[in-house]
This record gives sequence, structure tokens and C-alpha cells, in this order.
Amino acid sequence: MEKTIITVTNKLGLHARASAKLTQLTSRFASEIWITRNERRVNAKSIMGVMMLAAGIDTQLILETIGSDEKEAAQAVIALFESKFGEE
Amino acid sequence: MAEQIDASFTLTGIPISRGIALGRAHLIAHTALEVRHYLIEPSAVEVEVNRLCTATEEVHTELLTLRDTLPEDAPEEMAAFLDVHLMILHDEMLTKIPAQLIRKQRYNAEWALTTQLEILSRQFDEINDAYLRERKADVVQIVERVLKRLAGAAHALAAPTSTTKDDLIVIARDIAPADMLQFKHHALIGFATDLGGETSHTAIVARSLDIPAVVGLQHACQFIKQNDWLIIDGDIGVVIVNPSQLILNEYRDKKNQQQQAHKKLQRLRHTPTQTEDGIPITLLANIEIPDDAPHALSAGAMGVGLFRSEFLFMNRGEHLPDEEEQFLAYRNAVNAMGGLPVTIRTIDLGADKPLYADHIASPNAALGLRAIRWALSEPHMFLIQLRALLRASACGPVQILLPMLAHHAEVEQTLLLLARAKSELDIAGHAYDANIKVGAMIEIPAAVFVLPMLMQRLDFLSIGTNDLIQYTLAVDRTDSAVAHLYDPHHPAVLQLIARVISEANRVGMPVAVCGEMAGDPNMTRLLLGMGLQEFSMHPAQFLHVKKEILQANQAQLSKLVHNILISTDPHTTRILLAQLNSSS
Repeated sequence: MEKTIITVTNKLGLHARASAKLTQLTSRFASEIWITRNERRVNAKSIMGVMMLAAGIDTQLILETIGSDEKEAAQAVIALFESKFGEE
Repeated sequence: MAEQIDASFTLTGIPISRGIALGRAHLIAHTALEVRHYLIEPSAVEVEVNRLCTATEEVHTELLTLRDTLPEDAPEEMAAFLDVHLMILHDEMLTKIPAQLIRKQRYNAEWALTTQLEILSRQFDEINDAYLRERKADVVQIVERVLKRLAGAAHALAAPTSTTKDDLIVIARDIAPADMLQFKHHALIGFATDLGGETSHTAIVARSLDIPAVVGLQHACQFIKQNDWLIIDGDIGVVIVNPSQLILNEYRDKKNQQQQAHKKLQRLRHTPTQTEDGIPITLLANIEIPDDAPHALSAGAMGVGLFRSEFLFMNRGEHLPDEEEQFLAYRNAVNAMGGLPVTIRTIDLGADKPLYADHIASPNAALGLRAIRWALSEPHMFLIQLRALLRASACGPVQILLPMLAHHAEVEQTLLLLARAKSELDIAGHAYDANIKVGAMIEIPAAVFVLPMLMQRLDFLSIGTNDLIQYTLAVDRTDSAVAHLYDPHHPAVLQLIARVISEANRVGMPVAVCGEMAGDPNMTRLLLGMGLQEFSMHPAQFLHVKKEILQANQAQLSKLVHNILISTDPHTTRILLAQLNSSS
């Protein structure tokens, strides 16, 4: 299992489009991918789950990937967050 | 028997897209989310799960078809919204969980789906972010589509009959952006819905299509009948049903006037801004974020008169923006303005606009530790902002504006900090404009009485009328009990503003007005008559104010304004003000 802390750095946070980009990305991996904010843990392949996190800029999230391609999945998600979802 | 005339009535909602529309109601029936509840025989459970899967697949095909046949002139957002809808459709929360409910509880598919929708709705309702909370509407729209498929009906909305010649106004409980597309080829001129809010996707699409719309009417579907005559007033959020001929005529005139006025104003876009007697006037933009700058420029701004730097600092928790982040934001605005001056106000936060939730609330926020006072109480933070501003000045003309000055010491301390910021940048090897201009915001009456001191130490003035009125009249206009006392025409207010403008003009110091007054076309002549030559406002107001300027004769106005300023009788003042705005 890969476990990392990631920070939301894009201005709008995990709004509808960023959530869509994230779930499109995670759906490509075989691994289970989970994101936790405070007490709430959601499946990163569920757009509604991700939106319900309501994670604004500077929110810290825990990313967990579990499965055959867990390393690649974690790297891809981290890269997406670092690219600010291509928004800025 | 007299012909039956349908009674006229009015519904009020939330205006989301401006303009006036007159036409016939076209009602869209919606699937009630009330569905039959029954238990499935254990042997038929997999058949029921399949029924749900098939309906989901059918909606999938429906949405894909819509997305792939988008008309070329469809708003850009439309395809993105359809993608989001597709993803919601396939979300495990709407597929896996309802299937579990069918298998474990033996609910029928409709029951399983609406049960899960209720749970999701409650979770969306708890979200603090208004925009994300509104996404509940998208989920409901998707579930409705699936329910319709389950009922065996395709989603296609009843298209208007071909015999209808009048323009159509769509009335619905809610409209998905995708549904609006189906009306694209009909004469859809406006719509009104029972649900929805300002940030719904529907609202965004309505604005981009530029059709008048009102949402949140609550009872429109209940009270409005097919083919009723309707007026949609998207400016104030009102729907008038079966208007009388008198009202109808009035709105037809109003609509024509709006169209004429809009056309006329657009023609002024490229006219140089000067008074009838040839005095050039500078229109500057008030902006909130660097991204506003390109828009300000294309609207014809001759610079930025007020760039509020607060956006950088708000909702940041404990992590204030560092020098680099601030520098980049300021530089973006400066670059976007292509060499035109950008006036950036230093942080105007404090007790009334707290940075942190646990910020100790001042008992009297407007008179508390805010703006320059707060900045000077946090010199480390302030120094970082000054360094970032100075560095941005290497990329284009930057002016620094200091909010809420009243005391000599505030000016001296700030200039001292600025000198220190410069020497630190020298050491670090960063470029900056050594002669950067620093100005005073005039918003406390005391500042008007110490103008000679401010003018001696600083380079320009900018009058913030909102706060100046609040402090002069001791009125908090957000307090409805005293809001009526907030009067921009109060003689004390007018005299203070006139005095600042004339003292600055006397020594040739630049002076601007950047409060709401500058963008109010009813105030333009008054300010021109006082001798004002720089107006800073939201770019949307440019053409309205410009129209007044082009017709005004400053020499004549200054005589009228002089009489207003010396008048001691409110009645006379009102008459003189009316004369001022009707003179040409």
C-alpha cells in the first residue's frame, strides 16, 4: 500500500471539473484509490465522493493506493494535484 | 357570458440572467420522484438489477448522443457539463449501491434509486461550499433521466408544436443544461424554474446564451398554465403571468429601450473620453484579482485605479501568501495591463474582514484594528507585501495605495518600511522602480483636515467614498435600522469630497474617486463639477459613465456645483441636484 499526504493547490479546489479530472485519471488504474479528509474517506474513482470532500485550496488530504499498480497510481494522482489540474 | 380572462399575477424568484423576455409559456412536465415501492421476488432479483443496468446504459447513450451532436455555437461549458453528468451516471454511488439495495432489501429498481438519491441529497445539503452544494441538482437530473428510462419513456422533452408562432418561455421545475439544447432550434427566448440558484449549471448556461432567466420561483409549475402569456424580467427576478395590456405595452417599450440603449452605448466604446468642453477624463478599473485585468483592458480601462490585494489573503488560514506568490499575482496584473498604470492597495483587512476564524472580534469593527493600522501592527507581514509590490514595479508602472490613513505617524512608519524594503531588495539584487508613487486613500474625514501633511509626504490621492460616507455620517449601511441615513448627497459628504479634489487640483496632484460614487452615472456630473478628472470603477460601468461625461460641460457644471455646495436648505439642494442631471 502507498500512503502519502497531498495538498490541494489549485485556486478553486476540488470543484466539479477538478473532481471529474481526478476520477477520470483514477479510473484508469486497477488499484483501489482512497482519499481521506479529516474523518471522511472516499473512493477516488467516485466523482460524487470526491465532490463531497469539498476540499478547497490548501486542504491536506491522505492518498492511499492499494493494488498491483499502486505506485504508478499514486504518482499519477500526485502529478495531477501538482499541475493544479491544469487550471492555472 | 363575458369572455373569461385569466387573472394576472406575479411570481418572484432569483434573477440569474439579465434582460426582458415576452412570450408564451411552454411547460415541461417532470417525472415526479415519487415512484412505486414494491418488493421483488427473490428469484427475480437479478432481472431487476439488469433492468437498472439497461436503463443506465440507455441514458449513457442518450447523453453521448447529445454531447456528440452539440451545435457549433453551443457554449463551451456544455460539453464539460455533459461529461460530468456521464461520470455521475456511472458513479458507484448510483450503480453499485442501488444494485446492493435491490439484492439485499429486494427493493424494486426505482425504489432503490430514489432511496440512494435521498441519502446523497442529504450529504450534498451538508456541504458548506455553495457551488458544490448545488451539484445536488445535477445528481437529481441524472436520476430523473434513469427513472424515465425505467418507466419505458425516452427522455426527449415534449418539443413545442410546430403551429406555435409565438416566442417560447420554458417553465420547468428544473432544467438540465442538456435539456436546454433541445430547445436550441426553437424560439426559446427565456426560461423560469422552481428550483435552482445563482451558481447552478443552468444559470451559467443561461448567461452564456444571453437569454433572460429567473430561477427559484418555487410554484411556477403549479400556477402557470400552458400557453399563458408571460413576461420574464431577468433584471429583478420577476415573472408576470397573463399581464394586462397596459403592463405588456410598458414592458415592450422597456425592452425596446434596453435594446436601443445597449446599441447606443456600444457605439461609445471607441470615442475618446472627454467632456463637451474638451477636458480629457481618465476611466480606471477597480479589480479584485489579476484575472480581471485583461477584461478591464478590453472594456477600455486606461489603467487600474484600485486593485484590492485582499483576495490573496482571504481564506488562507494561517498560511499567508509569501513574497513570491504575491509578486507573481501583482506582476500578472501589471503585465496584463500592457504598460498602463496599476494602483495596488495594500492589505485592507482586519477586525471587520478577519483573516482567521478565531481572529479576536473587535467590539466595533469599523473603528478597530484594520487596514493600515493592522498592517503596521504586523510589520513583518507588511514588509513582505511592500517588497512584492516593489518587485512588481520593475515590470511596469505600479502605484501603492495606503488605506485608512489619518495619522502622521502612519505615513512616516509606512515610508520607513518602504525604504527598508527597498534596501533589502538592493541587497538581494532585485530590480524595482526607485521612484514608485505612493498615495493616500481618503476615507476618514480626519484625513481631509490633514491634507497638507498627506500631500507633502505622498504622491497622489484616491477618495474611497463608501467609507468616507460611513465615517462622516456615522452610519453602518449594513444595519437596516440606520441604512436610510447613508446619504451620498449629505452636504458634509459633498463638501469633504469637493475640498479634496480642489486642493489636489490646486497643486496639480493626481486625485481619483474609487468608491461606488465613481461608477454611478447619477453622480458623474456632480463629480465633474467638482473638478474630478479620474474615475475608478467596475469596468461594467464604463460606458454608462462615459455617456454622461461626453454630454457634460465642466465649466457650466462647476457653477451649478458651487451653488449646491453653498446651499443650506435641503429642499434647494434637491432641486439644484435635479437641475444638474437634467442640464445638458
